[in-house]
Amino acid sequence: METLLILLLMPLPAFMGRVHDPSPGIFQSKEEARNLECTRLSQAEAHERFPGQVPEPPARGSWAVTDALACSRRFLRIGERPARDEAVLSALRQKVGDITQTASALEAGELTWHVDAFYPEPAVAAKISVAAKTDLVERGRKVSDRVPVLAAGDIAVLWKLPPQQAYPLACERYFAQGVLTERDVFLGVMIVDPRETQLHAGLCARGEWRWLQ
Amino acid sequence: MRPAFLSLILALLPAAVVAEESPLTDAQRAQLETLRGEIAAQIQLQAYDLLDELVFGWTEQPVFALETPLVLADVSVPVGFGSGMQALIENHFASLIVKNPRTRVALTHCPQCTSVVVHSGATGTIVSRGVDEPEALSKAGTLSGSRHAIFLDFEIEGAALVLRARITSLEPALPIIYAKTLSTSTSSPALLRTGDRLKSAAEARQEYVNALQGRSLYQVPIRIGVRTYATGSGQVRAAPMPWLQAGVEGSLTQARAWTGSFLVGFSWTPQLHTAWMAQGRLSRLISGTTSSLTGPDLYAFVGGSVISIHGPAALAFQDQVPDLDDLLALLTGGGPDATFGALQLGLDLRVKNRIGVGVYLESLPALNNAPAIGDYLDIGILQFHSLGVEVTFCF
Repeated sequence: METLLILLLMPLPAFMGRVHDPSPGIFQSKEEARNLECTRLSQAEAHERFPGQVPEPPARGSWAVTDALACSRRFLRIGERPARDEAVLSALRQKVGDITQTASALEAGELTWHVDAFYPEPAVAAKISVAAKTDLVERGRKVSDRVPVLAAGDIAVLWKLPPQQAYPLACERYFAQGVLTERDVFLGVMIVDPRETQLHAGLCARGEWRWLQ
Repeated sequence: MRPAFLSLILALLPAAVVAEESPLTDAQRAQLETLRGEIAAQIQLQAYDLLDELVFGWTEQPVFALETPLVLADVSVPVGFGSGMQALIENHFASLIVKNPRTRVALTHCPQCTSVVVHSGATGTIVSRGVDEPEALSKAGTLSGSRHAIFLDFEIEGAALVLRARITSLEPALPIIYAKTLSTSTSSPALLRTGDRLKSAAEARQEYVNALQGRSLYQVPIRIGVRTYATGSGQVRAAPMPWLQAGVEGSLTQARAWTGSFLVGFSWTPQLHTAWMAQGRLSRLISGTTSSLTGPDLYAFVGGSVISIHGPAALAFQDQVPDLDDLLALLTGGGPDATFGALQLGLDLRVKNRIGVGVYLESLPALNNAPAIGDYLDIGILQFHSLGVEVTFCF
């Protein structure tokens, strides 16, 4: 009886190890696994962030390469926000960072930057706009919180045009109406097709529109 | 009749479908609300952490040279979250500013700044938030002395929470004079700093490490336990013995994966026995690789001890049935003695290495043939004669 008990208990350590495994399996469904974001860290970095869980690397080093996989659940599970919004927002920093890097490389002078985002969902548009403004200031650009606006008649015309024509024409109108001057530059971030999740961007300087991506 | 019946069925079908769907939708909504509440509790701590980091940065490198009035113009929470979180963030931010005058920022009240204002001028009529039309506020004299507004924007990007803070000067051009992006590190728990003694994330983390390492490698355990002995084949039965032990316990590293201890113990029962013990143990952490500050730790241990018993109770710990000579010796004052060795195998559950509860089996190899001592477990090479439970307090 005792031998049987010992034999039954022998696989227990192996199962205990599987409890913390982020991959789908006995203790975790595929859906739960998809909602995890994992990052591989060196043992030293993992010890700094999780000193209670990860021991300090041996002072004399180790022959074996040791690292840690830090996983945390997404704050909002996949499916809780509309798929397009989630795709844009979950990589906002990286997407907007790429755009502002390209834009600030093209216009390097002492200019005042204005930013606006064109996205069907106003709350998400505001997030994109704020991210771009903040990123530009952190890159050392002079940024204004004022959003250039056109007259109602201009907007009525622009509304009917396809994006490829509307944005260049809007840029011309900004300049013609004096909303933007020689010392201003306007960065527009938008999605062109409502079905896509890729952010596009254009730069309006001296009445000339340039697509960045 | 039949078309009328079909029409009735078709008319009632949508209602039936709705009736079928409604409870499910409500249940889903309730589950979603529960989940949201649970997540918001975590997000709230992470958001506090980011605000702490922002304000700590201002105490180290103030944005303004002199104390400057500042309007909290807008707090934007992640898309999908409600105004409850917004209120918590506003309160925490205000609390941090009040507790940290070194930021050189004074929060001012400006209800017109955040509300929608209508301004008619030569260029037309503009409807906007006050902070977006500062000249309108200025003309109305409602800026309350503040010339700057702060906007706090939180957004969830995967498993990270990102704070984007910007301060705008309330002049017609609305220049942004300060902007900062802060993000929670992947998976790192919130540092939970106190608002009145803010410190950097690195310092707070170091403090936590110091708290971990502050535990001495040596502890003084005091242990109270009871041993019971299995009934043997003889007429005499060994009575349970209470023990009080004290000694020293040490570990090689702060992980406390391996610990060793040496304790001496004393046991006394009126009219029955006086006993001494010296015991050594080697323990291995089996519930993880390092001991936890927040959860219990489970150790498995092996140990050895030498026990010496004096008094009538020692008669049970002999290889023979007590005879008349033993009883005569007892009556004449020359009480029996028993000294034997023991091997232990057990489990010890510790909480923060301060309090522990243990259970163990003990083998007395020298007493395998003692008629008064039986065994609880026989695994062939070892017979476990004694079962003990104990509570340990570490100092």
